[in-house]
Amino acid sequence: MKYTIEVKDLCFRYYSKEEDTLQGINLKVEKGEVLTIVGLSGNGKSTLCHCISGIFNHLDKGSLRGEILLNGRSLKDLSRVDIIKQIGIVFQDPDTQLFSPTVEDEIAFGPENLCLETDVITYRIDDALRVVGMEEFRFSNPNHLSGGQKQLIALASVLSLEPEIFIFDEAMSQVDKAGKLLIKNKIKALKKQGKAIIMIEHDLSNLDISDRVMVLREGKLFDFNGSLS
Amino acid sequence: MLIRENKIDPRTKLTAVILISSLAVLIKDIALLLGIFSITFIIALGFGNNPLALFKKLKKLALLFMAIIIIQSSFSSGIPLLRIGSITLLTIDGFTKGILLAIRMCIIIISATIISTSSPREIVQGLIQWKIPYEIAFMVSIGIRFLPLFVDEIKDTVNAIQLRGIELDKIPIGKRMKIYSYVLMPVVATTLMKSKRLSIAMESKGFGIYPRRSSFKRLKLSKVDYLLMAAFLVGAFTIVTVYLG
Repeated sequence: MKYTIEVKDLCFRYYSKEEDTLQGINLKVEKGEVLTIVGLSGNGKSTLCHCISGIFNHLDKGSLRGEILLNGRSLKDLSRVDIIKQIGIVFQDPDTQLFSPTVEDEIAFGPENLCLETDVITYRIDDALRVVGMEEFRFSNPNHLSGGQKQLIALASVLSLEPEIFIFDEAMSQVDKAGKLLIKNKIKALKKQGKAIIMIEHDLSNLDISDRVMVLREGKLFDFNGSLS
Repeated sequence: MLIRENKIDPRTKLTAVILISSLAVLIKDIALLLGIFSITFIIALGFGNNPLALFKKLKKLALLFMAIIIIQSSFSSGIPLLRIGSITLLTIDGFTKGILLAIRMCIIIISATIISTSSPREIVQGLIQWKIPYEIAFMVSIGIRFLPLFVDEIKDTVNAIQLRGIELDKIPIGKRMKIYSYVLMPVVATTLMKSKRLSIAMESKGFGIYPRRSSFKRLKLSKVDYLLMAAFLVGAFTIVTVYLG
């Protein structure tokens, strides 16, 4: 069977460290599945998500062993363009994800980088805003929005790239209860569309939308039994 | 999509700013500089700047200008203007240099406010359409975007120091400066971390993936823009001719 994401025996060591941060990670995610990875701070959750999204391949922050497959193709054989078209990441801090003067410009940023035509970009902006329900904020300054709204715009800016895989790296950690509900509903909608989703979380109250939960402990991945330690 | 939020193209404003700043640096005649200052002020008002806000900006810098005049005077030789015993405090030459520098700074500050009447997105688009590499254009835009965050970061760190029981207003200036030096390290560290996160977010959305990028917004110069640019060029040329002649 071909999985949307398949990680085989992945190890990662930062150049500045003497031990592997990730030690023999194996995981599989299917289409329309939400896999949540929980764990305490410093256990390698964000490192794992940066490895899967190919950021570390590009930035050369350490040595990566093992294999990451996206739809059966090794990450090593994919170009940066292919990876960006397939994987979208929503990060933890909304303030360092939003850098454009208006919401519209923010959402257009990715498609403009991919050199898409004006008509296509306009369609994608309309569509992404509709999906996150933020049409009325199109010309607003992202700095003036609430934490939850900012994260929805961050999500919209990823949606405009139309990826198949979404990674939410503690995307709800700086969001209030109402904002969390909004984001969870959008994740459920993405799941229904058949997107493969990996959620990185440390807040166990956000696990209700997950199909499967795994825990990352000291660089190793285990099935979650209700406790992080 | 054409940008139509502002009537005047940011490239016209950039042309004005470049010409005015160049004139301010080139000209060393007080009368001409005062003339350029007046013209700059009128242009800034014409582009929709608030005159009160402009005066407030200059008022804030009044002390700095005074200091510049005094420092320039102290380090310049010439006919004394103010003496205490055998020590010359002000010279005519130094005073003139100080005044020139202060007017120059006023002109540059006022001219910079002209560009602030356009949104950062428009400015970036203008630079890109001027064939400036988009990485550099974005660097300018992100610099503008993150300046308030940097200021907030400094305020937070100063607040954190005050919460530990240090009343900055009540301690001597020497000690206060020392405490401010402690602010530097956490602010720089946080800024570096934020810039790292920002670059990862930008990279994950494909920034720099191709040598060029498309733009869903395009700027278009109107007849008014061409006329204004021509007027600025002719004006600058005339001032230079008068100065050199």
